Amino acid sequence: MKHQSKLSQEQQQARQAGAEHQAQSQATPEFAHAEELLRYDAKQTPVPAAIAQRLQKSTADLPAPKSPWWKRWLGGTPR
Amino acid sequence: MVQSAVKTLMNEPPTESAPATPAPADLGSEEFSRLYAENSRAIYYLALRYLSDPQKAEDATHDVFLKAFRKLDQFRGEASFRTWLYRIAINHCQNLRQAWHDRHVFSNADEALWENAAAQTDSPLRILEIKELGERIQQALDGLSDEYRLLLLLVADEELTYEQVGALVGQSPDAVRGKLHRARKAFAVLFNQNA
Repeated sequence: MKHQSKLSQEQQQARQAGAEHQAQSQATPEFAHAEELLRYDAKQTPVPAAIAQRLQKSTADLPAPKSPWWKRWLGGTPR
Repeated sequence: MVQSAVKTLMNEPPTESAPATPAPADLGSEEFSRLYAENSRAIYYLALRYLSDPQKAEDATHDVFLKAFRKLDQFRGEASFRTWLYRIAINHCQNLRQAWHDRHVFSNADEALWENAAAQTDSPLRILEIKELGERIQQALDGLSDEYRLLLLLVADEELTYEQVGALVGQSPDAVRGKLHRARKAFAVLFNQNA
């Protein structure tokens, strides 16, 4: 009886440890290579809105950009 | 080896990302506004991590897109638009680095960025985590040679192939692969030193 209860206690602890480990590994991103980490960092990094605002001012007095010649010819769009 | 060397502990899984770059209402043409929305994050991130200074990265991104705006008709369509932009950005950033290489002073690189980011995040804990991660990444990148830093930043862009990265850095795809291996190792060592 005592043996059984000890066993179930150990099983419970093992299950709990397993669950904690699983939760931790789910919450802990791991990156195999530097570029994966950089990719993740890039996604978290916002582009300051000030850049677009400055660009808008800078381009306001300029003539609208001409499309590339091949695009005018083919009707394609640069990607 | 490098696997598991580059690990970072965060309390949230990497599901969220910064909001997409809003397309400005009018950047001279609808087409250019779309090109900005699609490519500004990539160019800003390259400038930020290559120059290690948020204000200079902001200026550089502005200048790169302004140059692209003026020269859009010269874009020959032989490469993707992003590759063309990267070429402008790399030249611009390398010129900047060259100019202040000898008189480089320490700048608390990420401070301005985190101050800007604070308003866009939910919890103080998350801000702290992102800040720590960004600082560690920047410190590790700062410890690399210019060549390795640029290589890692370009390879991190999933839209670029090794061939395209090679063309941008003036190397063959095989040389890119070889150098990338060494750059990864160097980065992992530096990144873990700052843990």
